[in-house]
Amino acid sequence: MTATAWLALGVAFAVAPALPGLAARTRSWLTGRRGAPVLQLYSDLAKLWRKSAVYSATTTWAFRLGGVVLFVTTVLAALLLPFDGRGALIRFAGDFVAFAGLLALGRFALILAAMDTGSSFEGMGASRDATLGSLVEPALFLCFAALAIASGELSLASMLGTTPARLWGPAGPALAMVAVSLFLLALAEAGRVPVDDPTTHLELTMIHEVMVLDHSGPDLALIQYAGALRLALFGTLLAGVTVPLATLPPALAVAAWLVALGGVAVGVGVIEAVMARLRLARVPQFLVAAATLPAFAVILLLSAAA
Amino acid sequence: MILLVVGLALVLLAGASAVVWRRQPRLAAGAYVILVLTGAALAMVPTVRVLTGTGVPPLTIPTHVPGGAWTLALDPLGAWFLLLVLGVGVVAAAYGTWYLASERESGSVPQALLGFALLLIALALVVTARAALLFLAAWELMALTCYFLVVFDDRRAEVRRAGMVYLLATHAGTLLLFVVFGLWGRDAPDLTFGSLQAVGETLGPARSVLFALALLAFGLKAGFVPLHFWLPEAHATAPSHVSAIMSGVVIKFGIYGILRVMTLLGTPPAWWAWLVLALGAASGVIGVLWALAQHDLKRLLAYHSVENVGIILLGVGAGALGLVYHVPALAVLGFLGAVLHTLNHGLFKSLLFLGAGSVLRATGIRGMEQLGGLARRMPLTWVAFLVGSAAIVGLPPLNGFVSEWVVFQAFFAAGVSNSPAGLGVFGAAALGLIGGLALACFAKVCGTVFLGVPRTPAARAAVECPIGAWGPMAVLVLACGLIGVMPVFVIRPAVQVAGLVAGMAPTAAAELAEPVRHGATLISAMAGLIVGLVGVVVVLRMWALQRAGSAAAETWSCGYPATTARMQYTASSFAAPLISLFGWLAGVTVRRSAHAFATHPTNLVLERMLVPVWRGIVRAGDVIRPVPRGRLQLYLLFVVATVSLLLVYLAASGGGR
Repeated sequence: MTATAWLALGVAFAVAPALPGLAARTRSWLTGRRGAPVLQLYSDLAKLWRKSAVYSATTTWAFRLGGVVLFVTTVLAALLLPFDGRGALIRFAGDFVAFAGLLALGRFALILAAMDTGSSFEGMGASRDATLGSLVEPALFLCFAALAIASGELSLASMLGTTPARLWGPAGPALAMVAVSLFLLALAEAGRVPVDDPTTHLELTMIHEVMVLDHSGPDLALIQYAGALRLALFGTLLAGVTVPLATLPPALAVAAWLVALGGVAVGVGVIEAVMARLRLARVPQFLVAAATLPAFAVILLLSAAA
Repeated sequence: MILLVVGLALVLLAGASAVVWRRQPRLAAGAYVILVLTGAALAMVPTVRVLTGTGVPPLTIPTHVPGGAWTLALDPLGAWFLLLVLGVGVVAAAYGTWYLASERESGSVPQALLGFALLLIALALVVTARAALLFLAAWELMALTCYFLVVFDDRRAEVRRAGMVYLLATHAGTLLLFVVFGLWGRDAPDLTFGSLQAVGETLGPARSVLFALALLAFGLKAGFVPLHFWLPEAHATAPSHVSAIMSGVVIKFGIYGILRVMTLLGTPPAWWAWLVLALGAASGVIGVLWALAQHDLKRLLAYHSVENVGIILLGVGAGALGLVYHVPALAVLGFLGAVLHTLNHGLFKSLLFLGAGSVLRATGIRGMEQLGGLARRMPLTWVAFLVGSAAIVGLPPLNGFVSEWVVFQAFFAAGVSNSPAGLGVFGAAALGLIGGLALACFAKVCGTVFLGVPRTPAARAAVECPIGAWGPMAVLVLACGLIGVMPVFVIRPAVQVAGLVAGMAPTAAAELAEPVRHGATLISAMAGLIVGLVGVVVVLRMWALQRAGSAAAETWSCGYPATTARMQYTASSFAAPLISLFGWLAGVTVRRSAHAFATHPTNLVLERMLVPVWRGIVRAGDVIRPVPRGRLQLYLLFVVATVSLLLVYLAASGGGR
């Protein structure tokens, strides 16, 4: 655990809200509009935190706890990632299961908060989120499996530290497939086009946004921050797979990771500019594709090892 | 060992006291709980001793039955299951006295209490028996007591039918076990487990036949797909504390049987491991899909047992892969995950069934579509049920996460093992899918049963159950939480069990499991962080709200003012996207009209396969039925003819032993 890793963790928490702004700005620029400032989410969060909240009379503590648990689990998941490619705060064999478990706990809490309102819209969003989440999970584990086989390591920090160096070796095609899959998963987990559209205004077509219709004030701030951080986490995974951070000097590694994170955000923006949201019935196919890629990667790696 | 016997005797006494004092139900219930508790505490002493590494001497009952001496012995594998029996048994017994107190008109309560005590004794005997005949006797006692407990409310036709299906399934399994031990014993001097183990490795191809038959026989008890057909019916219709012990403990005895037979048969060939792994994956995925399709709370929980037996089998399969391909770390991790999940599932599944029992008692409703809003009306039951749900989904910081974490590690150990076991890594994808689907399913359960607003007057009128109901549940909540926060304490003994199944010295197994022990301490740290940080953020949020204030309003419904309870998302709708995605597997019929949407699940194996086959057999039987109807002489003639034929066969084949 190095000083730069601590620093990088702090930086990750600090820059995460800039990522959705960067994606939105890219999208605006590509579609010929001016768009909101990149740092818009910071002011939104500050404003929401100071605002009062409105609670439906139907809701119980499950509703009030939803945003808190989502926020805490996302923050804790960050402790498992090596931002500079070297070490993570918490690191043990099988910690990727904890990463997935924390994200799942956050999802569970938010779904229950949505169901607590007794609203048909939020129930609909909850049902969709649960459906997509159950398809994201196997894809994520297949990505981790491919990384584990390619690196021979069983903790996230070691996997991500050692794999990119082999990206240009025989494991190259497999790792490229993992990288593509991780990007698709990032789009799904962060609720971006083509899975979900954060800017849509029709409740019937929403997934993530419709789940938080009733949230307001500090609760909404926690949820929005967690959403941004989730994009940063998947961006970090992607950076860890593609950029050989561990071979760079620590300070440069942190810089390279930041650039990669920005690249992911820009990539999300480009996708949003060039394509529309998929029909809901097609989204599972998208996620199955995201699972098929690392499955092929695993087969490639296993047959190379045999 | 004496302590164990004395403990079991006290449990028997408890059952007897329930019958003796049947006129004073309160006295009987008190005596029952105290006696069961004392008996279990006594029996716990040798159990804990074995699990902490000190053995207890075996006890031989002098008998003159064929098949060798009847020995009771306790090794770590048996002790692990005994721990589950005693722990869940006491809790379910305590809950049962409350639950049955208001069921006097449905069936005989003293008889049910006695049956439950006998069931506990039978379970303890199964894991300690070291001779095939004693084992079979205990197994049969277990099966029969379960039957009588299931048909407690035998005025209802569905209960009688569920009981009959269960009885047929369990007896088919017992018959197969007779075949297994019969075939096995042909080459052994007697039928004690020691002798069977001695010949186990030398059996050649017959070994695989034995394994396949044992897998079928124990599978009928464990209830993995496609042998699960009896399970949802029996577990859903039994009284809730019986459902708890059947789902939490009794089906695990199928797993016990499989593990025991594997230790007796020696190093497995490759196909056993792959078969178990495939059965586990199929059972896990299909089980949770079928659970998603259910709208009957208890039947849904029963299908989740099918799923969780699948997860346990995934662990067993991974462990067997480690034995086959000589990857000791994989063997230890796989079996470790399996035994840990066995215990954990026993705890959270019985917790969930007890919670379902309280809901049933408070509302009289099992259908989720008629419930809702119980979180406000039954706050304690809700917390208990929520903890159980989060645990079964495998979320940190609870016990389900710990065991799934170990099973995942086993698959990844297979992946990096550089051996043919590598393909086992796809088990991780299956487990991931199972986890995701289970999350969806329990989000549906919690959301429709406890959250939102009540859908019927009965749900609106529900009130919290007394301490007799939530006290036992609190014990299970505590157990789930403690194992989740401090897993090291259960991992240490579980490693011994895993080492025993993998045929390793305890020290070797402990060394291989060192990364798990290390990870477990960090999981404790993470659990602490989750709880602590949630606390901090809750305080911060309250502080922010105190400054800004908050207001109450209606749920937002896009401006529509007259919202009703019927507008909530239903269980059918919640599960619909996943059901349609896996449509052909889910076995669901969808009814859709302009104003209603409902899905109806079918028990595919029972309704579409077994019942038609059974009808065919009955029709075929019609051909010979007219001949012997009711003539005692004819029946006797048949018996004599059969026995003489068998004797002739024995004489011709050179005589048996």
